[in-house]
Amino acid sequence: MSLLGIRDLHVSYGGIRALKGVSLDVEPGEIVTIIGANGAGKSTLLNTVSGFLKPTGGYVEFKGQRVGRSPAKIVKAGVCHVPEGRLVFANLSVQDNLSLGAYLRSDRRKMAVDLDRVYALFPRLKERMRQQAGTLSGGEQQMLAMGRALMTDGELVLMDEPSLGLAPLLVKTVFDIILEFRDLGKTILLVEQNAFKALAIADRAYVLEQGKVVKEGKASEVAQDPAVRAAYLGSKSSDGKSD
Amino acid sequence: MAQFLQQLVNGISIGSIYALMAVGYSLVYSIMNFSNFAHGSVIMLGAYFGYFCLTLLGLPFGLAFFLAACGTALVAVVIERLAYKPLRDRKAPFLYFIITAMGMSIFIDNGVIATIGPTPKIFPLARLPEFIRGGTIKLGVVEVGRVDVAMFVITVICLVALIFFIDYTRVGKAIQATAYNMKASALMGINTSFIIILVFAIGGALAGVAGVLYGIKYQVYPQMSGITMKSFIAAVFGGLGSLPGALLGSLLLALIETFVSGYLSTQLRDIFSFLILIAMLVIRPSGIMGKSMEDKA
Repeated sequence: MSLLGIRDLHVSYGGIRALKGVSLDVEPGEIVTIIGANGAGKSTLLNTVSGFLKPTGGYVEFKGQRVGRSPAKIVKAGVCHVPEGRLVFANLSVQDNLSLGAYLRSDRRKMAVDLDRVYALFPRLKERMRQQAGTLSGGEQQMLAMGRALMTDGELVLMDEPSLGLAPLLVKTVFDIILEFRDLGKTILLVEQNAFKALAIADRAYVLEQGKVVKEGKASEVAQDPAVRAAYLGSKSSDGKSD
Repeated sequence: MAQFLQQLVNGISIGSIYALMAVGYSLVYSIMNFSNFAHGSVIMLGAYFGYFCLTLLGLPFGLAFFLAACGTALVAVVIERLAYKPLRDRKAPFLYFIITAMGMSIFIDNGVIATIGPTPKIFPLARLPEFIRGGTIKLGVVEVGRVDVAMFVITVICLVALIFFIDYTRVGKAIQATAYNMKASALMGINTSFIIILVFAIGGALAGVAGVLYGIKYQVYPQMSGITMKSFIAAVFGGLGSLPGALLGSLLLALIETFVSGYLSTQLRDIFSFLILIAMLVIRPSGIMGKSMEDKA
């Protein structure tokens, strides 16, 4: 049974049909990436999985059960979401941001272990634990957002454009960390404009165009596909462009 | 010198009550980004609740005070559920919230006039405990009304408790997180609807405390909510959405007012208050300590 199952999902908002019958599966332990142009519906998909948008048709299953209706319930079930633009709490300290990641948890001992793990993974955050998150650089904020997701202790991590707006060296770091997440036992659904990098680390990939899945398969095979190469890998100018 | 100190003490006393009211405006603004103009009416209701608990029900002062705060907390939450939640669910523009808040205020004020009547009520001195009854205490060259001392002390207790709650508890951090970004807070598993209710309840309870204290110092009457416009100015002056800003703004506004009344003229007092508001909005719209307009459009 797949960890996340999306079945014939239709989502509209603001009069636009953003998703037109998307189905996909994520198996435990996988890294699955969704690639596609701006406006293809990638972020809409993630926002529907975490409960911010209501489907007009179809549904989302997590561990074989329909997900709850509110974002808080979905987090509780074990889905955590690193949003586009990071959305760290700029008015709070790094440490407070990480504690808020563990807001729903009460297993204090394991929380302390996880906090140590986050600081081991991101030594920069440990140096700055008392600093306000708003004073961090973009790359550090991305690390904080990812660390916060680790603190949530969800099995499935949704990542929305984690490399957006970062310098090339940091982009590499971010992708290395995604691999570390998998080593920690997380399952990852990754949305990226940097299709080249995403396909390089993913197990499987889905190509989304205008709200529909137009191609799916092993990441290595999708990366070899001539149409995909032409559309998403031919030019690397898509790096770090924001929408 | 004596007169100066006297004005200073008066200013601090009035400032403390402004602060108690301003905090309610600021808390709601920090989460919802609109000025809840119904807050003044909730303060007025608090004064009536306290008055009737004391006179009609004959309850002891402490209990009456407590029930007034609970009552206004409930009213504030009911207003949020009835008036603001439907707007939020429809993602209405912020202007609609402000207009709705004004509508609620007019509705409550006139409801009170229609049912209880426009005649001012006066808290029965005999039913009040000694520490808050009329009379003054002499502190060196300065004379302070007992009500003023009580107001100051109760305000400080409430605000210290509030600041402790917001800065040092898990739920308090969740309030700060929700104030910064509602979506990101929901992604942490924070139940943002609960946080909104909680914030209205806290603001409402403080409104009840402020209403009772204000009613004891002056009178209880339906247009009291108009007086609370001053605390709104204080909140804007200090920076809407910022708790320390609300405190600082209240204290500064009250000091300016008492010094203007003391040294210039009482009639000029309100002109000064509104001049300050206008000047602040022109020079620094986010107030002394407010969040900048960029991240809270």
